[in-house]
Amino acid sequence: MPVTEHQGSSSSPSTFSFGRSLLSLRRDHVAMPSGEEADLEAFQRHFAASLGELLPGEVEGGGGGGGGGGGGGGEEILSVAWIRRLLESFILCQEEFRVFVAQARRRGALPAAGEKLVVEFHERAVKALDVCNAARDGVDQVRRWERLADIAASVLLAPGEIHEGQLRRARKALSDLSVLLVDDTAASGSGGVASFLASHRNRSFGRARASPSRASLAGATSSSHFRSLSWSVSRAWSASRQLQAIGAGLAAPRAHEAGLAAPVYAMGCVLHLVAWALVAAVPCPDRSTALQAHHLPAAPARAAFPWAPPLLTLQERLAEEGKRKDRRNSCGLLKEIHVLEKSTQKLTDAIDAAPIPLFGDREADVREAAAELAAVCAAMRDGLEPLERQVREVFHRIVRSRVEGLDSSMHNAD
Amino acid sequence: MDGSTAAAAELEAAERVVMRWDSTASASYGGGGGGGGGDEQMLFDGGGDRVEAERFLRAVDDLRRLAPPSPATVGSPRRTSSASGGGGAASNAVQVAMARLEDEFRHVLTSRALDLEIEALADLTSLSMCSDRTNSADVAEEAAAAAADEDDSVSSSVGRRSSYRSLRSIREIDLLPADAISDLHAIASRMAAAGYGRECVQVYASVRKPAVDSALRRLGVEKLSIGDVQRLEWEVLEAKIRRWIRAARAAVRGVFASERRLCFLIFHDLPLSSSTITTATHDAPFAEAVKGAALQLFGFAEAISIGRRSPEKLFKIIDLHDAIADLLPDVSDIFAASKAGESIYVQAAEIRSRLADAVRGILSEFENAVLRDPSKTPVPGGTIHPLTRYVMNYSSLISDYKTTLSELIVSRPSACSRIAPEGNENAPSFPDLDLADPDSQLPLAAHLIWIIVVLEHNLESKASLYKDAALSHLFVMNNVHYIAHKIKDSPELRGLIGDEYLKQLTGKFRLAATRYQRTAWLKILNCLRDEGLHVSGGFSSGVSKSALRERFKSFNAAFEEAHRVQSAWYVPDTQLREELRISIAEKLLPAYRSFLGRFRHHIENGRHPELYIKYSVEDLETSVTDFFEGCPPSLHNRRRSHG
Repeated sequence: MPVTEHQGSSSSPSTFSFGRSLLSLRRDHVAMPSGEEADLEAFQRHFAASLGELLPGEVEGGGGGGGGGGGGGGEEILSVAWIRRLLESFILCQEEFRVFVAQARRRGALPAAGEKLVVEFHERAVKALDVCNAARDGVDQVRRWERLADIAASVLLAPGEIHEGQLRRARKALSDLSVLLVDDTAASGSGGVASFLASHRNRSFGRARASPSRASLAGATSSSHFRSLSWSVSRAWSASRQLQAIGAGLAAPRAHEAGLAAPVYAMGCVLHLVAWALVAAVPCPDRSTALQAHHLPAAPARAAFPWAPPLLTLQERLAEEGKRKDRRNSCGLLKEIHVLEKSTQKLTDAIDAAPIPLFGDREADVREAAAELAAVCAAMRDGLEPLERQVREVFHRIVRSRVEGLDSSMHNAD
Repeated sequence: MDGSTAAAAELEAAERVVMRWDSTASASYGGGGGGGGGDEQMLFDGGGDRVEAERFLRAVDDLRRLAPPSPATVGSPRRTSSASGGGGAASNAVQVAMARLEDEFRHVLTSRALDLEIEALADLTSLSMCSDRTNSADVAEEAAAAAADEDDSVSSSVGRRSSYRSLRSIREIDLLPADAISDLHAIASRMAAAGYGRECVQVYASVRKPAVDSALRRLGVEKLSIGDVQRLEWEVLEAKIRRWIRAARAAVRGVFASERRLCFLIFHDLPLSSSTITTATHDAPFAEAVKGAALQLFGFAEAISIGRRSPEKLFKIIDLHDAIADLLPDVSDIFAASKAGESIYVQAAEIRSRLADAVRGILSEFENAVLRDPSKTPVPGGTIHPLTRYVMNYSSLISDYKTTLSELIVSRPSACSRIAPEGNENAPSFPDLDLADPDSQLPLAAHLIWIIVVLEHNLESKASLYKDAALSHLFVMNNVHYIAHKIKDSPELRGLIGDEYLKQLTGKFRLAATRYQRTAWLKILNCLRDEGLHVSGGFSSGVSKSALRERFKSFNAAFEEAHRVQSAWYVPDTQLREELRISIAEKLLPAYRSFLGRFRHHIENGRHPELYIKYSVEDLETSVTDFFEGCPPSLHNRRRSHG
């Protein structure tokens, strides 16, 4: 790594290997007995622990709206907060893996076959980069929904009476939102909620547009103009195929395969899981195909690795979420998206049912629905930006470890 | 009382004006009013008649001024005492007006957009020529083209169809005519004042985003996933990088800069944010319109920056690095002001530094490749090894890219020799590198010398592949001479490597030449020595005739063998070849001439002298010119023609 090391640190070898030696120091203290086995065991233990922490508490914390509730790590599965913890765990696991590999390399216990395994993992991880980018676009898209939904919600929650003007304004925002949702769902390849919303839109908003010609015109322009979704990946890119590529050739090592085989397999599994969860959570191209549960990684035997049980439970929970009736046709399994869709519908219904002027129960219904929508909007505003940053962080970590891999495989070539 | 009834009447009039233009029901209302005739009638239609538009805007202002504050304007202090009926009508009128204005805003933004002269921005014509050209990886030519580009692009950036080739600085283009922009500003300010800023931003972004996307498409920015980029051949990517650099300049300095200006002109003095959204600034609409396109644009460079590192990629990656480094201040200027846009600047900066890492990585990859080049077949005739040519061409390109590389390469290669073999016993032994004065020398220069040291090291092991020691020396001579010459021929390279090392190289190939001569000719010249010819104790003519005959015979045989073999050897440099022949002739001819002078009568007196004295001095002189031609000998032909 002669040229890579550039920060003016002259030629001191200690500076060069600072990262490694620091980590190995720590490691040496923890794992006294025989280097490799102890390391492997520690790695798998940590790995199992961080997956275990992701398992949701079996109590469904009935809190509505946002990601506010929960407290000590008990986030609901597939909520923004939970996805963020999932990504955090991945970053942690990857860091452990890096240490493990560096450790093995330092001991000289990394034969060519081992290096090959590491390279294979990096190749696999690089395939997740496109998933990160797609998820970034997807999160961005969800924020766009949030902005429209928030207009509707905040208009109806403003102090004072609700007049027709406010209702019309809210209705218009909801209508624009439904156009976006329809398009995005179509792009993701599923139909349910979107088609519901589409027909709903025609019913409730067609009525307001008295002149047919005018209405159809306005409808056409507004929908084409709001068709703003554009993925930064190529049109042919498919989340489903990408997930398959990430999972391709991921097979449990046989018992006699020592060394890196097990950690590399563990990393491959968690990588696939994380990519799958991202695709499932937010809108991205060809998402619905990807959700067919059989695209989940081939499961390791439950008893084979300490981390297999929590991983399997996670996979099962995710697959269940995907199969739930009310989520099957959603734009994303992200809990907040689900709430957004639900409360958007609820608010639309409440507005449709509302006579002018509003009073009594009807007004309470509208305000309640608006409050729910406002709550989820607030949760999205708070949560999505950090989520987007974290997706980016995962991207960086994958790139960094790959680049390191490129450098070290270069030195250890032949 | 009078005042308030007047106000009420005014309010009612304003409401009437507004309701005539109810977007959602224009057919039923529209017929009545002065303006709203046809279905598609718009207030702001870019025509001369602005009376109706002005009246409408005045009515909107009146509504705002006279009506009890609408509860819809979020954040405004609540007034409890508004008459509920009147408040409802007014808020309905405001909603109708705003829906109308939203449609008008979209209409103006869509229908008045000027055609962006992408071709002028990016000089697409020369671009397509570029992509047609064969991708011969001729980086030098590329560099020359880039330099030419540099020259004629600084010129006038004024005037629409000027002759610039790619944008050197931000150039804001009018995306809409000035009157349309002022209409948009007039509409946006009413919408913002009524608390409809977010709707306005939504419309703005939903119109501009596709426009930006299409501009990038016309610039040739492709949507490629990282996977796509990883799968493409490097040659294909090179062409794409070339195109990308032009497109990125046009996109950032032309498209994005113009979008930002448009957004500024429309929104800069408006309170867009409602109290619930804290982050919205006046360029939020801009950021929303271009973010996707910008991320997509830089996504390509990012994909390149994380690709595999192999030596052939170095120079295109430097080009890409330089292009982004050059764009960064403008990216910062355009994006870094808003929170939404900041991430784009951050990403561009990350890509730049990752490309810098890639450059460093590739250089050390190259050094390793030079050290380890495994080819085990000796090149015939001891001529210049392809590796030598490759490395030296590469090195002189490195020196052409000196400006960037000396910024990026800031550590010296010395660390490498200590670290690399660690824990890796079968690594080839590293040559020693003792560089005179580490402080006075650029790290890049140290790397170049290191590359050459490593090359020499590799060549030495390649030299040992020859069974003939003389040929092995000739091979070293040829190759080191080539190295020295390449350095001398390139002022940049010579400047970096320095005369001192050049002197060492010159000494080295001269030494190799000497060794060649010693190895190849000593045995032949020994045939021409007196020792062993004189019969010991003999008095007058004490020369052993038989020994003399043997001498002539073995000289002839040795010379013929040398001639046969070494005519097939090759010294490609004509001057070096000539010098070497002269040097051989200078030793061989006088020795032969004097040997002949002293002993020829002994042979000529005997029988069949032609069996022993086959060559005249002139014959030898002529034969020497056959040496190092790299082709089969023609001795017999020459002899006959002389005979």
